Amino acid sequence: MKKLLALVLALVLCMGCVSMATAEVKKPEKITMMVDTTVFTQANGRDLFEARWEELTGIDLEIIQPDHSAYYDVLQQTIASGEWPDVMILSSTYYSSYAAEGVLWDMTDAWEASDLKASGRFVGDRVIEGLKIDGRLYGFAPTRGNGCVTYVKKAWLDKVGMQAPTNYAEYTAMLDAFVNQDPDGDGVADTYGVSAAGFVGGEAPFVNYLAEFYQDAYPFFVQQEDGSWVDGFTQESMKGALERLAEAYAKGWIDPTTLTNATKDCRNKFYDDGFGVFTYWAGTWATNLKTNLEAKNLSGELVALPPIAEVGAYFDRVPPVWAISSTCENPEGVFKYFIDTMLDGGDMQMLWTYGVEGAHWSKAAETVLAGTEKEKTYAEGEFHMLENMETAGTLYTKNHIDPMLSLATFAEGYYDPKEDSVKPEAKASSELFNASSKLAKIVPTTEEMSMYNGDLTTLKNELIAKVTMGEMTYDEAMAKFEADGGKSWSDQIVNSLNALN
Amino acid sequence: MNAANIQVRKAPLKNRILKYKWFYVMFLPVLAFVIVFHYLPMFGVYFAFTKYNIIKAPVWVGLKNFKRLFSMPNFWRAFSNTLEISVTSLLLNTGMSVIISLMLNEIVSTRAKKVAQTIIYLPHFMSWVVTAAVFQMLFSPTTSGLLNQLLLKMGLIEESIYFLGNSQWWRLSYYIINIWHNTGWGTIIFMATLTGIDPGIYEAASIDGAGRWKKMWYITLPSLANTIITVLILNLAKVMNLFESVFVLQNNAVMDVSQVLQTYVYYQTFNSGGIPDYGYTTAIGLFRSLVGAALVLMCNYASKKVRGRGIM
Repeated sequence: MKKLLALVLALVLCMGCVSMATAEVKKPEKITMMVDTTVFTQANGRDLFEARWEELTGIDLEIIQPDHSAYYDVLQQTIASGEWPDVMILSSTYYSSYAAEGVLWDMTDAWEASDLKASGRFVGDRVIEGLKIDGRLYGFAPTRGNGCVTYVKKAWLDKVGMQAPTNYAEYTAMLDAFVNQDPDGDGVADTYGVSAAGFVGGEAPFVNYLAEFYQDAYPFFVQQEDGSWVDGFTQESMKGALERLAEAYAKGWIDPTTLTNATKDCRNKFYDDGFGVFTYWAGTWATNLKTNLEAKNLSGELVALPPIAEVGAYFDRVPPVWAISSTCENPEGVFKYFIDTMLDGGDMQMLWTYGVEGAHWSKAAETVLAGTEKEKTYAEGEFHMLENMETAGTLYTKNHIDPMLSLATFAEGYYDPKEDSVKPEAKASSELFNASSKLAKIVPTTEEMSMYNGDLTTLKNELIAKVTMGEMTYDEAMAKFEADGGKSWSDQIVNSLNALN
Repeated sequence: MNAANIQVRKAPLKNRILKYKWFYVMFLPVLAFVIVFHYLPMFGVYFAFTKYNIIKAPVWVGLKNFKRLFSMPNFWRAFSNTLEISVTSLLLNTGMSVIISLMLNEIVSTRAKKVAQTIIYLPHFMSWVVTAAVFQMLFSPTTSGLLNQLLLKMGLIEESIYFLGNSQWWRLSYYIINIWHNTGWGTIIFMATLTGIDPGIYEAASIDGAGRWKKMWYITLPSLANTIITVLILNLAKVMNLFESVFVLQNNAVMDVSQVLQTYVYYQTFNSGGIPDYGYTTAIGLFRSLVGAALVLMCNYASKKVRGRGIM
């Protein structure tokens, strides 16, 4: 009887605590948000977004939105000034660094008790787990990070009489045919198999633009299954990757200007029929590539390749996260009214995903300009995006949340415009990516990494380029890696990462 | 009473200030500007002796940042590259500017001279980003690379050269691009000096039977000497500031010959994989400034020794 009484008492106390905790979440009067241009900019109706958000929450929202390229400079200056915003968007690098430095509020408990987690609509548990640092959560991502899939020009495949490759041997045979069998039909040997912006990427996951050559190799720090860390650059798998890249370069399969290309250069060369295989973003970019090829009177039909056997899975990058600063006066309130509502399955999710009705999207009967499709007339009640306020002749595609990457569905009964707003090729590439990708992991920051990784990355990138271009062998590169201090820096960083375990 | 004994009594300082008060008032904005934007930032030198990641207060580490700096092979490589690239560019640009100024000076038709001047000034107004994009296309090793196609057609090379992607060719390509971009602008000051040379000297030389070549050698060039020294000394102060032109033209394959101190700081900041140590990057900046100042002083000293006067 006593045990039963104690149990009942404990339960009552617990329930009391929970209800008190819930009741204690005070609604903030104002929230300061710092965001890049992934939310509608001033020129694209940010004030309308802000007004609608305030209407839905009854909270004053102050938006600080620097230029896209200057976002992290301004953020760093803001952090240095001590006047931190309540909530801010962060890339994975800044997320782990700021979490390590105590800039971010630990939202683990708030997330566990959130309405969104309990809603049953949230499908991103794997993403949230991937965002945890030492088991604690400091940021929330409303979307997956997305990644790249390999697109092949169908017209070129047809011209050389080949099927989409399924393994590396078929992949290189296809590249060879694209170089030597005049796939663009202009009678001149001026085509390459594949091109990319650099032989190695500038940010994680580094290898995603040339995944077929890197396969299981990774030039940054990797946590193994037993929890220990290694530098992927020093592993045996990197030797195979560099030899594949060198062979492809020597045989002309890779566009030699990959070394100096920016992504825009690659896109332009792809649209100009300069090469046939392009590993680029899944989803909306499938449509962009198609329409741009068609604008040049070329076939826009692209085959989105499932990862070849040796690659296994594409990389799903760590998504940007929304984090609350540790100096925020009412972090529980900001979490509840800002973060927890972002994917509420209703009006707020609609606002973050598509924008403001009448400004960014509409269901009114009307004719709108639709870019390359020129004009399109919609019937009353038919969902459609509206013309871009800043760039006339183009249509909005989304607001902050890409509907194809969203981690929560709309609530039952609430109209989900995704089917009506997403083009079939974009949907197909996105679904392919979802079905065949693995989540990139966050690498924690250590003091040794801050000290040595700048020099180390420069050295690694230099050696990758030189081996690929045939200026040195793998063995010579590794000898230089050791002689120039790379091995020592790498070991010190690995040791510091292992010390965190 | 001789002149040496005459003493001019100065008015009291207060009176003089009052007398010239409007000059002082006009000078105030300049003074404020210099203090705020030139002298106050110098206190940032303090960070070179700290460990500072912006978030936490700086921690005094003494000379630790400099010890680390001097132990890094990449730093020394960047340092020597900076000196080599900057000094070579400076000499080439100045030399080319002088040669082009002399050539422009020989053009008799004013209209033709103005057209020529305008054409050679124009590249200076093109941003380095655009310049890099244009030359990357011209120097490309693919079929779209004009220079390679030309050399191949002329039979001078058997296969395309990756001018901007090969350590052996990068520096030469950089100097050519740099000359194209900067030389025209550099001629302005020399042209101004040439305009100021007394025509009477040329007339006298002509009467003495001097031809154009002798006039150029014995009149024009000596007249330009002071300007050349001044330009060299002033530009020496800037040799350690090399960044934009190198940054837009460098790539991973040529880091061994193109990494300079400013790009080294950039990669330390953005490749660190976390929040960089601004104390360390400030230490690099301080070292760079000290070397720049030393170069100017040395050049000024050399000028005094050779010409009997410097510019400071």
